[in-house]
Amino acid sequence: MEFKDYYQTLEVPRDAGADQIKKAYRRLARKYHPDVSKEPNAELRMKEINEANAVLSDPEKRAAYDALGAGHAAGEQFRPPPGWDAGFEFSGDGFRDDGGADFSDFFSELFGRMGAGRHPGERHGRRARGGDHHAKILLDIEDAWRGAPQRIELRVPKVDAQGRVALETRTLDVQIPTGVREGQLIRLAGQGSPGAEPGAAGDLYLEVHFKPNPRYRIDGRDLVMELPLSPWEAALGAVVAVVLPDGSSLKVRIRPGAQGGGQLVVRGRGVPGDPPGDLVANLRVVLPPADTPRAKELYESMARDLAFDPRAPGGA
Amino acid sequence: MPAPNVITGTLLEGQCLTLEQLCGACTVSAEWVSIHVREGRLQPPGEGPAQWRFSSRDLWRARRIRQLEVAFDAEPELAALFADLLEEVDRLRARLGASGL
Repeated sequence: MEFKDYYQTLEVPRDAGADQIKKAYRRLARKYHPDVSKEPNAELRMKEINEANAVLSDPEKRAAYDALGAGHAAGEQFRPPPGWDAGFEFSGDGFRDDGGADFSDFFSELFGRMGAGRHPGERHGRRARGGDHHAKILLDIEDAWRGAPQRIELRVPKVDAQGRVALETRTLDVQIPTGVREGQLIRLAGQGSPGAEPGAAGDLYLEVHFKPNPRYRIDGRDLVMELPLSPWEAALGAVVAVVLPDGSSLKVRIRPGAQGGGQLVVRGRGVPGDPPGDLVANLRVVLPPADTPRAKELYESMARDLAFDPRAPGGA
Repeated sequence: MPAPNVITGTLLEGQCLTLEQLCGACTVSAEWVSIHVREGRLQPPGEGPAQWRFSSRDLWRARRIRQLEVAFDAEPELAALFADLLEEVDRLRARLGASGL
């Protein structure tokens, strides 16, 4: 595996004090916090920063890392000698809940096994089970609606046959449950890190987000869409067909006198589920162009015969 | 190439995660969760830890609060407030996206 230079990651010198490390970490954590950062690969960088901080902010881990890593450079092939941690006594305080499940193989190789055996109990029990993983997925609304099988590609750090760490693409075919909503989680049991024993693998949590869609939007359980109407459909009322994300068609009745900006709500025809959501159609009146003599004549006729002033108080 | 197996996912609907599942998914201890429940920052239904059930949103929120506490040594109250603000940002971003902006 490749040696990781945690000092380089945190952009601090090797003799940096605890305060300097804390400041550097906080500065970078702000810069790459995945919820607010606009930097590319912010999530990956945040993981690297967290890992570096977990080692350098802990006096015991830092001392062990310094002793082991002297003379190595970032990216250099590296394997810790057997029993390298003999002679260090770890208090266990360093093995706090620091999100270790998300750290690299390099970190796991150096520090992952220290707590086990020395501090049996809850922490050890949790390590016996593989870590849970988290990933965001982007779905088409149409696929989510139908509950179609989805091929999902996730980038996972793996150690290859030569011991090098590289990002591997892991492909999963997942049956998306019907009616999944934005922000919901799908749990794939046993698809996290392998556990110490068979059957003890962690889970993979997929956080669902939808790709931008030109026709539809999901708001909670409601399906929101725009419904264009001709002026005569809006004025006289009509029955018009709307196409749902699964391709099926639903006929809805427009009441006479509908206006652009109005809403039509069809109960129970939103996102499938128990209870199902509503279909919310935002009405938009589209004017036909006056680009033929006949069309102009019709508009002129309306202008002449209808006493209509849209700017008058009350709208007419 | 043989067709790969299709994995069936479980949709986390409502309050469905046990304390142990939440701890595993967030890499936190049961004690950490108990403190946040006691202080009202997480509000699962149920009388005691064995009956607590957490939602997808709780999981998301717990992970955010924990990350903020670890990253900035943030006071739990401050981390929870920041998590509230991030949730509001998510909602506003969703509305912006819906408006085509």
